[in-house]
Amino acid sequence: MAFNIIETCIGCGACIRICPSGCITGEKKERHAIDPTLCMECSACGRICPSGSVENRLGQIIQRVKRAQWEKPRFDHKTCMACTICVEACPTGAITLGEPASKDPHAYPELGLEKRCIGCGFCVKECPVTAIAMTAPVEALPA
Amino acid sequence: MKKGYMGKVLVVDLSTREIWEETIPDTVYKSYLSGMGLGAWMLYNRIPANADPLGPDNMLGFMSGLLTGTGSLFTGRWMVVGKSPLTGAWGEANCGGHFSPAIKRCGFDGIFVRGKSDTPVYLYCDDHVREIRDATSLWGQDTVETENALIKTVNRPNAKVACIGPAGESISLISGISTDKGRMAARSGLGAVMGAKRLKAVVLAGTQRIVPHNRDEIKRLSQICNRWVQFQPPFISGPLTAPVGALMRILPTVLTQDGLLYKILLKKWGTVSMNQMSPEMGDSPIKNWKGTNKDWGFSKSYSSNPDVFTKCERVKYHCYSCPLGCGGICLTNGKYQETHKPEYETVLALGGLCMNQDVDSIFYLNELLNRMGMDSISAGATAAFAMECFEKGIITTADTDGVELTWGNPKAVEYLIEKMARREGIGDLLADGVKVAAAKIGNGADEYAIHAGGQEPGMHDSRNDPGFALHYSVEPAPGRHTNGAGLYYEMYQLWKVAKGIPKIPPMYLKSSKYKTSKRHAEIGAVNSKFMNVINGAGVCMFGSFIGAKRIRIFDWLNAAAGWQFTPEDYLETGARVQTLKQAFNIKHGIEPKANKITDRALGIAAQTQGANKGRTVDVDTMMADYWEEFGWDPSTGKPSQEMTNRETINGI
Repeated sequence: MAFNIIETCIGCGACIRICPSGCITGEKKERHAIDPTLCMECSACGRICPSGSVENRLGQIIQRVKRAQWEKPRFDHKTCMACTICVEACPTGAITLGEPASKDPHAYPELGLEKRCIGCGFCVKECPVTAIAMTAPVEALPA
Repeated sequence: MKKGYMGKVLVVDLSTREIWEETIPDTVYKSYLSGMGLGAWMLYNRIPANADPLGPDNMLGFMSGLLTGTGSLFTGRWMVVGKSPLTGAWGEANCGGHFSPAIKRCGFDGIFVRGKSDTPVYLYCDDHVREIRDATSLWGQDTVETENALIKTVNRPNAKVACIGPAGESISLISGISTDKGRMAARSGLGAVMGAKRLKAVVLAGTQRIVPHNRDEIKRLSQICNRWVQFQPPFISGPLTAPVGALMRILPTVLTQDGLLYKILLKKWGTVSMNQMSPEMGDSPIKNWKGTNKDWGFSKSYSSNPDVFTKCERVKYHCYSCPLGCGGICLTNGKYQETHKPEYETVLALGGLCMNQDVDSIFYLNELLNRMGMDSISAGATAAFAMECFEKGIITTADTDGVELTWGNPKAVEYLIEKMARREGIGDLLADGVKVAAAKIGNGADEYAIHAGGQEPGMHDSRNDPGFALHYSVEPAPGRHTNGAGLYYEMYQLWKVAKGIPKIPPMYLKSSKYKTSKRHAEIGAVNSKFMNVINGAGVCMFGSFIGAKRIRIFDWLNAAAGWQFTPEDYLETGARVQTLKQAFNIKHGIEPKANKITDRALGIAAQTQGANKGRTVDVDTMMADYWEEFGWDPSTGKPSQEMTNRETINGI
């Protein structure tokens, strides 16, 4: 059972616009559909859906999260081996290689194009040495 | 599909402009793995006997590895396979960079192209679209320009490009295929196959997931591997690698090499770490294979010492899933602002082989060859061949626009390579490698053409390590230096994980290396089998050098595909792939004996001075023994029809 869009869908198209594999189709104001053969289960459609209409493969509705609160990868460059697996794993090209530090000639990954990040966590999943963690942005507490 | 592989290939017919997917049965992966094994299975069954390598019947395969994208390390190699126009035999080339995962992210283990287009085209593929698109405006552009233009045109995150340069377009038989703006799948002349098909490039921009059977186990094994790779004690300076090589030459015994030492060198410098060590120990062919370490001593090799390359290295780069990072981008002072750090092979082919000490010319020619899409080993070897022809008076200044092709003249090397890359003047004669050039020149030039089956060998002297002589001569893709050697076997340390294969003691007499013994063939056969496993999995050879207990390729394969094969089973799979590739050659009329490397590289006549003084390699005996190891006819190198039928599983 792949990801599915249920009947509460309002056809706003937000999921179509964010889907990195382009596997969602549907007319405006009509229920959209996910192509299960292409869906990579990144959950971005569910997190952005204003009507809570996307369920995962277990049939659970994916909760909407304000985009500013989406988790983003943070890199531990002491553990990172600069193997670029995360760069290639990122479906939106948000992870780029930074410039080498003065004493270390290797280029390490960073969230160079942060606006592209959809918080899918594929980078975390594929990193062989657990050098990446997904963290939610910390809001400044009011004075 | 939780098996690490995608289970499908894409087939493109440029003549009919049809594109279709084919599902590959699991039996094929179990029998041949993915990567080059799957490629061999497809090409054996799909290319008709005696097909013209430059005609529409030849099929070119762009292959990813079974382990690519599974969380394993050193598994970013992609391979290109086809019938080689350079040798007329099985053709293969292997390359790092980031193209391998891109093939799988489009949902395929391989992309096969047959037919021939009337006009220049490129293939575009992502999750939805598979299209043959017009490439007329790209024809004539170099590989860097082509890649930049295509990335801009398709405008997709992580789009990857494999393309040819002007050398491939002009059907140079020593042209290759470039990715990552100059990383070349250079060998076997497969760039010319793309050029003949008018296929300028393949552009991939898929996003599909690669799902192994047990990613957690793969990660656990990767962490073990990574700990060994990150072990990096401080090491001596670049020029001090030369005395280490000299010591290895002088000692009467061989200390069996642990690949960790080479790993330390690779991590610090890359393959250029061998620029001085190899000539000193007799591993590098000098002066078109007639020179010795005495001709290319410390003072001459010093200009290309390893530190020269790291000093101008702007950044080190890693191929996909590589924890080591032997690659680099270097800043240069010449026509090009930067270039990929030249590899050892390139430095020696354009340097010691031509007696050229000018490292600036090597930086320049490295970038020129990458951009033109030409194999730097073959190009350097062909330049050295031309220089010896000039020395013997077979080529004169009347043929060279007045340029003196004297040994060590950097302007002569630059002149020859530039002409070859553009197929101008004498370059047109030389652009198809030494064998074709010698046949055209005549006058006994073939005596100076060093090749195996038409392909120029790598920069490793078979008189120093007879294993190279064997593999240059017996491999279905002759002349390649990455299929095996005695030294490689020592570093693989396979006897620590697999039963029934020769064990190398920690120290042995050097003289035993040069005695005729069946042991050479036993080791050579295991090398070939293991290399087929490596190429099926998409593993980097340098990674595998750290030793089988440290890089657990067999365990990774089981964890990725959900199999429970033993190391011995995998070596049997490697043997099956080797038989399949040999059967490919027999099908296409190749006589295996004809691929024997040129006498000079075997020490016939033996050198009278230097590291390899007095050494002659009895490769005929080694070849017969090797063929016997595989159960082929030891007198001809041909598998029996019964064996061919059994190992090629035609019926699927």
